[in-house]
Amino acid sequence: MIILYDYELSGNCYKVRLLLSMLNVSYEKKAIEFYPAAEHKTDAFLSINALGQLPVIQTGDLTINDSHAILVYLARQYDKSDTWFPISDPVRLAQVTQWMCFADSLTSSASSARLVNGFFYDLDGEACRQEAHRLFRIFDEHLWFNEREDHLWVVPGKTPTIADLACFAYVVLSEEGGISRMDYPAIRRWTDRVKRLAGFVVMPGVFPAGPGPVHVLPANDTFPSAGTAEA
Amino acid sequence: MIDLEAARYRWHPVASSTDLVPRHVFQAQLLGREMALWRADDGNVNAWENRCLHRGVRLSIGINDGRELVCQYHGWRYANRTAGCTYIPAHPADAPARTICNNTYPAVEKHGLIWSGEKPDGQIPSLDVLDTTSITPLRGVTINVPLENIALPLIDYYSSGQRGASGDSVVHYGADTPDPFLLILHAHGHLHTSANAQAVDTPTPDIAFFFQPLDAARTAVRGVLCGVDEHNIGSAALIALLKQHSFMLCRARDIIESGHRDKPVPTPWTPYIPKVSDRHASMPPLTSAGQQAKLRVRLSAIENLSPSVKTFRFQALNTQIESAAPSVLPVAQPGAHIDIHLPNGLVRQYSLINGPGQTDHYAIAVKRLDDSTGGSHALHDSLKVGDVLATSVPRNNFTLRRDAEHTHLIAGGIGLTPLLSMARALDHSNLPFTLHHFIATETDAINRAELENMSAAVHWHVGQDVQQTQDTLSALLDAPTEHHHVYICGPGAMLGFTRETAATRGWADESIHFEYFKNPDVVDDSSEFNVELARSGLSLQVPAGKSLLSVLREHNVGVQSSCEQGACGTCRVEVLEGEPDHQDVYLSDTEKAQGNCLMSCVSRARSKRLVLDL
Amino acid sequence: MTQCSDPVALALWHPIAAIEDIPADGKQKTQLLGEVLHYRKMDDTRVSVHHGDRKLPVTLAYGYVWTCLGTPERDLFDLPEYAESDRRNVCAATVGVNVSAPRAVENFLDMGHFPFVHTGILGAEPHTEVREYQVNVDTERDEILATECLFYQPQAAAGSSGGVMSDYIYRVPHPYCAVLYKSCPTDESRLDVIALFLQSVDEENIRAHALVSVIDTQSSDLDIRMFQQNIFSQDKPILENQLPKRLPLDPRAETPIRADKSAIAYRRWLRTKGLQYGVLAAAA
Ligand SMILES: N[C@@H](CCC(=O)N[C@@H](CS)C(=O)NCC(=O)O)C(=O)O
Ligand code: FES
Ligand SMILES: [Fe+2]
Repeated sequence: MIILYDYELSGNCYKVRLLLSMLNVSYEKKAIEFYPAAEHKTDAFLSINALGQLPVIQTGDLTINDSHAILVYLARQYDKSDTWFPISDPVRLAQVTQWMCFADSLTSSASSARLVNGFFYDLDGEACRQEAHRLFRIFDEHLWFNEREDHLWVVPGKTPTIADLACFAYVVLSEEGGISRMDYPAIRRWTDRVKRLAGFVVMPGVFPAGPGPVHVLPANDTFPSAGTAEA
Repeated sequence: MIDLEAARYRWHPVASSTDLVPRHVFQAQLLGREMALWRADDGNVNAWENRCLHRGVRLSIGINDGRELVCQYHGWRYANRTAGCTYIPAHPADAPARTICNNTYPAVEKHGLIWSGEKPDGQIPSLDVLDTTSITPLRGVTINVPLENIALPLIDYYSSGQRGASGDSVVHYGADTPDPFLLILHAHGHLHTSANAQAVDTPTPDIAFFFQPLDAARTAVRGVLCGVDEHNIGSAALIALLKQHSFMLCRARDIIESGHRDKPVPTPWTPYIPKVSDRHASMPPLTSAGQQAKLRVRLSAIENLSPSVKTFRFQALNTQIESAAPSVLPVAQPGAHIDIHLPNGLVRQYSLINGPGQTDHYAIAVKRLDDSTGGSHALHDSLKVGDVLATSVPRNNFTLRRDAEHTHLIAGGIGLTPLLSMARALDHSNLPFTLHHFIATETDAINRAELENMSAAVHWHVGQDVQQTQDTLSALLDAPTEHHHVYICGPGAMLGFTRETAATRGWADESIHFEYFKNPDVVDDSSEFNVELARSGLSLQVPAGKSLLSVLREHNVGVQSSCEQGACGTCRVEVLEGEPDHQDVYLSDTEKAQGNCLMSCVSRARSKRLVLDL
Repeated sequence: MTQCSDPVALALWHPIAAIEDIPADGKQKTQLLGEVLHYRKMDDTRVSVHHGDRKLPVTLAYGYVWTCLGTPERDLFDLPEYAESDRRNVCAATVGVNVSAPRAVENFLDMGHFPFVHTGILGAEPHTEVREYQVNVDTERDEILATECLFYQPQAAAGSSGGVMSDYIYRVPHPYCAVLYKSCPTDESRLDVIALFLQSVDEENIRAHALVSVIDTQSSDLDIRMFQQNIFSQDKPILENQLPKRLPLDPRAETPIRADKSAIAYRRWLRTKGLQYGVLAAAA
């Protein structure tokens, strides 16, 4: 059984919960109170992860920390279809890695702004917001052009990858850090698509999208006859 | 500074057409006001105040279910087009007042963009350069500076773009600025782009840039390329071209923003948000009578459903093309009916069969009856497409709760009509239900294909005699189940049997909902009594042979009515004192026993005196 | 930062921190009504609060430090359950929310959002009905009381399978505080208490503090804290998306329904008090 050291309100932990759920892997949660108790800085937790960071998973003798490392592990271990982490395709693999690094830069910007507003961290919230907007502009343009080529996900291709989940968490929580997504329509559409993936789960701060197709282009103007709309 | 007041009367672009994908809610801003834009499954674009009327929550975080927009806070549902509230989950048994309507703005698609405005009265810009066969919208870009600071630096768009471009082509441009909200670049030359590692020279197209004033310090630039032959240049080159422009526009944005870094930031615009009407400002009473209003509609289509059943579709009069406010019909909920004023002077009630979000028309299904008192004959035989009729606004005395764990719909013959609209709503929202349709012959199974396609179990009981029908109904109602609700509409005898059986089997009155076509009982109006109207301070006498309703009307006390035979529930009045003599078939036995309301069209008094809350 | 000039808000006691969260040494900083405050733990029973050089009055109550920027007009409201010896009192959460305090109080009083916002915990579709309940203003104690509140909850009690109707009583004893009493799953004769104490950082930002006082021998403190933090964090994005952020007291600003009876009484109560901080006054 996998044990996830988890804080419900953490975006990094959310990435892991999302993939576990989408891959239908059962696991046990061990709650670590990040705020206000700072349990992740106690000796007990530091002995599990010397970095004093969540999330961490344990299974048997194996301990893995860092949300992205955990995503890679879970995808390789449990994804029978080999699509979430496409190791046999060098180009896509590189792109997945690139966007995971991008996701890390969201942790130090969008996520930090959220720590300032919601958890009273003593950081420069304004600087974090500015950096997040700079990143969102780039991300929106990337997704907008993906849509033009019928690519629904962060990395071009038919299926979503762990890069989608890595980017999703702190993008979708950005408003808690005072970062509006109004100027990023392609990002907003992509968050709807992620929310419609099978096995998607919400966390506090994330709303469901409701049923719908994952098209990228406007519907034709025929009215589906009553009772036959897509569910 | 732009002229804010004048700007309110213009059309502005608020999104690209391609921004509005199905089942998505786009968050827009115009002149400081936020809008929720969403495209329904029928293609209609809605531009609404981004604020739920209930508690002010942004609708852009809500759910577009294809026909309705659902608020995330308390699940209020608002209909496509009308923005009328169709369902309030906290009060599942109530039909929301038809006039709870969100603020809407006009929305028109043109030049690949969505155009809207607060009260636009002019034309959407239509320019010479746009007069070309093909228009290619660019990716919209937001610039965090006031609108008046953008056009001038953008005149250098093509030449400054060259700094970032990988080529050396020379581009000539000319600019005219007919007004502060747009800039047109007439270009000559070639733009050097690369697609699939192949260098491509594209003739430089003319560009129209529209400036969308988001707020005092923020502007969106929405550009369209004019005359790019998308089919001819191929999709790779087209994308390369769009990328090139996105790149150039982003660089222009960075330059404009950095030039503005030290300028004072203007205070944001504060849009006026219209207040809700007085009627909705205070908490509504437990039962609220709807508003009196007459509609004029045009018969737009007639369709045969079976040899004896036709559907009639009505549309609002004066639907204009590209108008700010196409005339819309008041929104109706499943179970609602309208009164139709027929050419022969008769007024008849028909249930609407519309599905959720079908707000641009009213549809009814009418069976031609031989013993009809003239209603079905008039509709079947004398109406033609194009005819104009008067109708009431929809009334709903047969409301569909959506908090049941399972809903059972039972229809006798053409009594299917209100249940059809319920089935459509339940099916669309994936709520569990079963439908039983009792019919004389197979040909009476109207809308069979549609119903068979639904996720629910639908049963047709064909040609059952009275005993067989009663056996089937008895089996259906075998034992009451908590959180199950039953809706039944059909002939009086069938309803009577169902109600009795349900009661003896222990079903709670509140779980059995029914609608009669007409009151099968004979009304006894031989009594005489007095009524006092608590709120108007009137004291009136109701003589034998006259209804309470007609006495009230004679004294100008407004009470709405519809069927006037104790079947539809419209003329309900609250009783404060006295014992009513119920003669209707609308109220349940529990409600009748409680004695705190009556149907004023047929019911009278057992006591000498009644005090009414009027 | 605009200074608070509302005499009503200035005379109130405001919570600023959970006593147990204050480090043993060192000066701490927080903000109240737009003003920066410093506070320090002297020992387990004493905390000092300063606004610049000025020493502010302090009350330690219900696990939290309370202070007042003006002259307190009355003592802090009573919460007698806190002193009952067999209760677990847990300072369960402090969450920053970008909204005014009165909007958060209204959200706390509102049952209609349970199935949509606290899905699967405090409510679940299709059970969405808010039944009639009673609201009264207790003029003697100057507080609002909502009673006979019933709501269907999927998992109100740990051991219950299937849904149950839960009973609630709500109290609003302070413009920025509300208390709820809820049937206790382990002892039918007692009520669990959850109190919401709002610190107005400024007019449109709060720190929402929660006190949970329960008769519960099973759950750990950590369970209780995580549960409460999750609930608050589910409300947070709703509150942050409410426009306007201040509570409009004009009756025509929004559309109440019968389920909102307590909110209507609360808005009226604030109007009579003449409270200005965190609200939009009704047009005269
Ligand atoms: N790169 C790490 C970052 C994890 C991280 O920042 N976790 C937060 C909680 S969301 C944490 O524990 N922060 C404490 C710290 O960094 O000291 C990952 O992706 O897992
Ligand atoms: S605020 Fe939208 S439903 Fe209540
Ligand atoms: Fe809540």
